[in-house]
Amino acid sequence: MTRNRFFTFIWIVLVALTLVTYAMGEAGIIGSGAMLTVLLIALVKGQMVANYFMGLWHVAPGWRLLILGYFLIVGGLIALAYGLN
Amino acid sequence: MTTDARNQYEGLPGDFAIWIFILAEMLAFGVLFVAYAFARAHDVALFNASQETLNRTFGAINTMVLITSSYFVVRAVNAIKCDLSRDCAWWLGMAWLLGAVFISIKCVEFYDKFSAGITLSTNSFYMFYLALTFFHFMHVLMGMIILAVVIVKARRGGYSSRDHTGVETAASFWHMVDLLWIILFPLIYVIR
Repeated sequence: MTRNRFFTFIWIVLVALTLVTYAMGEAGIIGSGAMLTVLLIALVKGQMVANYFMGLWHVAPGWRLLILGYFLIVGGLIALAYGLN
Repeated sequence: MTTDARNQYEGLPGDFAIWIFILAEMLAFGVLFVAYAFARAHDVALFNASQETLNRTFGAINTMVLITSSYFVVRAVNAIKCDLSRDCAWWLGMAWLLGAVFISIKCVEFYDKFSAGITLSTNSFYMFYLALTFFHFMHVLMGMIILAVVIVKARRGGYSSRDHTGVETAASFWHMVDLLWIILFPLIYVIR
């Protein structure tokens, strides 16, 4: 039961972060700060899904680092491209 | 795969082969995400104007739909670890239904765009938008087929707390679909 309660908490946080991203889009907030915030939210959400929902928290650290590296590299290159504006 | 075999692969949930597939798919999507971002840098005004025509509310709803379906899949895995086959099938069934909701919303979005005369060749933004979202759409469909097979087996008592690799394999694939949308939604619908 405690285990399910923890996953319910993670789900609520993921929904809340999605609403923040949506609100930022609807408010038309632009600029480097907004772009980095939205990417950071995606990074946090991705880590929560990978570590807790996918269960990588319990496996060898290399797998967690692989997913973290993926988000950092893809997110970093996206940020770099948007910085070229 | 037995518990011993799981340990051999450092405890990764599900079949090891699905993780190779997941990494390959994430790499393919990653290249497309970065390509989109650099293509946008060449014509920011066009990308921003085209992005405005998207239904951001649909995109946000679909994000929550996939996150919730992922949560239901987690509950299914937890249920089978407690030998609750029926509960496992029920949670997977709920996740499948949310997959159907996602597909339905995407179909409405695609219909809106196609009926407005928008195609892959309209401009660079729509080429990326349609290609990325359709590619992802196909993965959701594939995930629903996998979930359906696992649901049928779970309903027949085909999994247990000792043998549930199939459930974990399907769950891992479904979470990957969610993971990709977590990047796709802000990239295509929000960031400008």
